[in-house]
This record gives sequence, C-alpha cells and structure tokens, in this order.
Amino acid sequence: MAIGSTHVTRRGFLGFTAAAAGVITLTACGADSDTGSKGSGGPLVMTVWGGEPDRKAYQQRIDLLVKKYPDLSVKLQLIPSDGYAQKVQTMIAGGSGPDIMEVAENVNVYSSKNQLLPLDELATKAGLDLEKRFGSIGKLYSYQDKVYAIPDRSGAMIVYYDKAAFEKAGLGTPGPDWDWAKIQGAFQQLTVPGKTWGYAGAGWWAQWWSFVYQNGGTIIDPSSGKPTVTSDPVVEALQWAGDLTFKSKVVPTKEQYADMGADIGGDQAFAGGKVAVNTTGFWAISGLKDSKVDWDIAPLWRGKDQAVTAFGSGLSISRTSKNPEGAFKAIEFLTSAEAQKVIIDTGQDVPANIEVQKSDAFLKPSWMTKPVDMTAFAKSSEFVYRAPFIPEWNEMQKAFDDGLADFWLGKQDAKSALTAIQSQLETIVKPAG
Amino acid sequence: MWFYVFVSPWLVGFLVFLLGPMIASLYLSLTEWDTFTAPTWVGLQNYVTLLRDDPVFWKALWNTFYYAAISVPLGLALGLWLANLLNKQVRGQRAFRTLIYLPTLVPLVATAMIFKMVLAPSGPLNQLLGFVGISGPAWLLDSDWVKPALIVLSVWGAGGATVLLLAAMRGIPRELYEAAEVDGAGPIRQFWSITVPQLTPIIFFNLVMGLIGAFQIFSQVYILTKPVGGPNNSSQMMVPLLFNEAFSFYHMGYASAISWLLFAVILVFTLLAFRTTRKWVFYETEVG
Repeated sequence: MAIGSTHVTRRGFLGFTAAAAGVITLTACGADSDTGSKGSGGPLVMTVWGGEPDRKAYQQRIDLLVKKYPDLSVKLQLIPSDGYAQKVQTMIAGGSGPDIMEVAENVNVYSSKNQLLPLDELATKAGLDLEKRFGSIGKLYSYQDKVYAIPDRSGAMIVYYDKAAFEKAGLGTPGPDWDWAKIQGAFQQLTVPGKTWGYAGAGWWAQWWSFVYQNGGTIIDPSSGKPTVTSDPVVEALQWAGDLTFKSKVVPTKEQYADMGADIGGDQAFAGGKVAVNTTGFWAISGLKDSKVDWDIAPLWRGKDQAVTAFGSGLSISRTSKNPEGAFKAIEFLTSAEAQKVIIDTGQDVPANIEVQKSDAFLKPSWMTKPVDMTAFAKSSEFVYRAPFIPEWNEMQKAFDDGLADFWLGKQDAKSALTAIQSQLETIVKPAG
Repeated sequence: MWFYVFVSPWLVGFLVFLLGPMIASLYLSLTEWDTFTAPTWVGLQNYVTLLRDDPVFWKALWNTFYYAAISVPLGLALGLWLANLLNKQVRGQRAFRTLIYLPTLVPLVATAMIFKMVLAPSGPLNQLLGFVGISGPAWLLDSDWVKPALIVLSVWGAGGATVLLLAAMRGIPRELYEAAEVDGAGPIRQFWSITVPQLTPIIFFNLVMGLIGAFQIFSQVYILTKPVGGPNNSSQMMVPLLFNEAFSFYHMGYASAISWLLFAVILVFTLLAFRTTRKWVFYETEVG
C-alpha cells in the first residue's frame, strides 16, 4: 500500500493536535507556574491595549510617574486590542501575570475568578476618594461591593452630527432635550434615499442599550441579577432602533454598509459624509480631523428618561502582583490630574479625572483644529446608566450578537429575537448570590 | 544507544508537545476550568452537556459536516478536471500551471481579506452574476449563504490537489493509452477507464487530507465572519467554537471536551474512508 495505515493514525493525532492547540499552549504554560521570577525589586509590568497613539500616551504618563517616584519602574506592555484578553489570560495562567492591568466591561471576568486585588483598602490608606476624583463612575468597576479597578479613561457615548446639514435643513442643534420623535424626524429630513442617511445606526450594544435604559428598561435586573430583555420597554426600544433601518429607512442596511467598502462602519461613513449622525465614543474625533464634513458633538438625545452608555477603562492590580503597594501608588498617580492631562493633550481619550474634564486643557485641546463643544462629555456624565458588567459579559455579548443577527437584517421582529435571547441568557447568567 | 540519541528530538517533542498535552486535555475535559483558578472535577458532565443540552454545538457540528461534505468532493472534482486540462499539450501550458497553483501560495489570511471584498453584496462576484441576470445573495451577511461562501473560498485552493494529481497523471504509463487507442477507446473512455483508476491512490490521499482539513476549518471563519461564526452561528464550526469557549468564555474544560469529540469525529470519518479503499482504490503492487 502506498499510504499505510500507520500514516493515517499519525495524521489523526496531528489533526487533533491542531484542534487542541490552545489547550496545549496553556498546559505548557501552566507547567512552569510559580517559577516566574519577579521580585518586588523588579519593574512593575503594566498591560494595556490599543495602538501606537495609546502607547505614546501611556508611556508619557509613566515617564511622569518615574520622574516623581524614582523608586518605581514600570514596564509598559501594549497588546493589540483583538488579542488582549487572550494574551492576558495566557500570561496569568502561565504564572507571569501583569501587576497593573487595564480592564473595561469585562472587569468581572477576572474579579469573579479571584484574579484581581480588591482596592478599597489601598484607596483608603492612600487617602484616595473615588467619588471626589471620578464622580458618579468612581465605583463603576465593582463586584459584590468591592472595587476592583480605578477609573482611568472614561467618556460617554456622544452624538456626532453634520452641523452644516442640520443648519441647511433648518433643524437647529440636536441636544439632550430632543426626544425620539424629534430626532427621528431629523433623520428623515436628512436622508436622501440610496445616497445619504440620517443616522449611522444602533446595532452596537452601547447604542441600543442606551435606548433601552432611556425607555425605562434594564438588560439585567440590578436587584435580582436576572436577565430582563423581554420586558416591554426593552422590546420597544430595540424595535425602534430596528425600524430606523427597515421602516423609515434612515439607517443604511448591512448590505449598504458592506457596499461602501470592506470594514466600513458608522465612524467611517460619518467621516465620509454618508450619514448625518453617528453615536460613538471620543475616539472618532481623531478620524474626523481631516474630514470635509463640518461636524460638532452633542450629548445623546432622550427617551422617557435620559440615559447613555459610558465607555472607558480602569486600572486594576492582579492578585499575583509581588508589589501591590507600589502598583497602587502608580495607579494613584496615573489617575491624578497631573498625569491624566496627558490623555487629552495627546488626544487619546477622555480622562476619567473630573478635574481634568472641566479644565481648559480638555475643553479646548491644543490639537483641535476647529471649535467643538467638548462640554458634551461632562454634560453626558450626569446621566450615564450603570451597565451590567457581569462576569459572563463575553457570553452575554455573544448571545446578543447571535440572537440579533436576523433582527438587524430585518428578518425577525424584536419581540421574538429577544424571547430567544432571554432563554439563552437564563442559562448563561448566574445571579450573584 | 545511538538510536535513542538520534531519535530523541522527536521523542522529546512527541512527549512534551503531543502526548503530554493530550493527556492533560483529556483530564481537563472532565473538569470545569476557567484557566485562572484550580479545575473542578465534573466527570462526564461536559460531554453530557455538549451532546444533550448545547444547541450551538450541534449546529456547529452540522455546519462542519455541511462544509466538509461539499467542499471536499468539489475540491477533488475540480482538481481532477484542472489537472486533466493542464495535462494537455497546449501553448502556455507552463504559465497555466503556475497560475492554477499560485492561489495556494497566497497566505490564507490574505486570501480571506480579499474574499471579504469579493463577496460584498455589490462586490465583483455579484456583479459577475448580475451580467448573467442573477441577483446574488449577500453572502457573508446571509445565514443561508455564508456556508456556500466559505465553500467558494475553499475551492480557491484547489490548485494544491491539482499539482499532486497532475504529477500522478504524468506518471501513468503511455502504453496503457496506446493499447486503449488500438482497441478503439475514445478520450472520454480513456479518461474514465485509465486515468481515473490509475489516480485513485492520489485521489484517496487528497480525500483524507481534505477531510481532516475541512473538519478543522478555522481561519476563514475567524476572518470572514463577524461575529465569529455569524450570523447567528450559521457559519460556526467546531474549531472556532472550541476557540470561543476556551479563550472568550473561559470554559477550558468544555473546550477540551469539544476537541476530543472533534478528534472522534475525524477519526471515524478517516477510518470510514480507509474502509472503503478496497472497493475503489487501485494499487498496482496489489495486482502483482
């Protein structure tokens, strides 16, 4: 026989190997846990995600830190956003987890698995008043009444709008007092079928969840910890968001987006003048600096209530850190007004420190080429809702992605999509207890 | 003594990178492990949940079967056809051979990126279909068409099989054709009665490799679909599912169980393929 049976056995094994490659990597890493040499004298390892601009901003802040506390040294590890969670997971499993770790919505993936240090005591010892320094989001990254991360970057989702188009249509300036009917009317006026659209759409959780909370709904009931996505306010809000695409047609469909080019989303479409309104975070500003569109920003419109998603990230200390005191000292400084100013000076993001948010450095950034209403961020922060940062955050997001796929294609209504999601969430989300 | 010294790199590699992790993953598949805290023993619970209560697993399994069942035979048929064409004495034969094999050399990730554009709702492929009056589907965005889209991408790599088949084709003794010609066999009869039987060992080799590769499809799904396996898991395959469970949801035990089930599935199909060899694969040496 040309191809012997011994051959296939080996192939089969190889086949399996590739399938279980991840498992293998981890096991291999797990084998040498506890041998990681990282004495308290070594540099603190800090992991953050992002690209080159982020590296620049973080490094500048670390330089300030070391200038002030020469006894501390911090090694910055920048990891591309896509692979951040996996990389950190492997580092921790391999026994060489970071000391300082950037976290966001998925903070409780780690805190619930006992990977982060509760920071309340360290904060008290350092005399850090979270609510004074960060306002309503001071204890955003909490799990079972303990704080696990100090807010570092923060900023509400804001409305980017085409100022020239709004003025031309005689619509005035959109603001937080506009209700759904009024903003929808504006979308309709600004839509030229097949050419430009009034709104970029609300397919991302941060967007349609804002409408849910504006409508008096919740995704997870805060008191019982149970998913509540089939309640009328949730269904109504999602249906409204979907109808913008399929009924009033003021939002491009997925097909129309795909035709604009590979990987074009709301941010790019807005910069290209294809949509008149886009709701997203601070980061879109950098993509608009060279745009021909005459744009400005405003706080999000309202439903029955005011509510908006906040983005951001916090800094946490991993359980395995050999020098938690040093790490906290670093975090305390990095989130102080002095270091946070760098975040806006480099145009990276919105600093979480309220003092900086209200300073001229933030309201009139030196790099901004045109007058933009930067007070939108501070105004929005007054009505940020508390999103459910549950330990099963990733699975919950996947359930929404899967369950709403047909809805966002216009093949299913909100009620039936959410009913299916609810039953899936019930198996995923374990109420805290 | 020297035998062991020389064989040791392979032996150590096998023990450390293959056998060890395999045993570890078998153990992990019987536990619940979030990769951070110590694993908890749950016995066969992961397998029971997978086979009884996890609709996504069954969907992924079905999708993987669907993909393998169409892409593998299609790739083989196409490879055979192309090899046959390339075997003809025509001008520019060498250039054609290069062109057919070239796509196989393009890294899969790059190919997938290009296909994202090709498969756009108003992309080149649908425009082409438009010329002949077919209004094409939204491919990657449509739960009914995303699997066919992945199959289209797999066909792109048919050049790999083509080269092997072509090489084998060149090795078929000319006498066989000459004899057939004398007996009055036309080109079609020659193809089915001489070329194909002579090629069966290579076809079989491609079949087995193709099956294993198809069951392990990962990169294409990972790059082309967003969210991975979407829309609504209609392109979710076994390996992307395993990856999600292990690295997004922190269910390493569950993911290990999936990998063992995948191993079982591949093993069964490969054995099945071997079982049927007697019926259709022709080895010259056996005729003697």
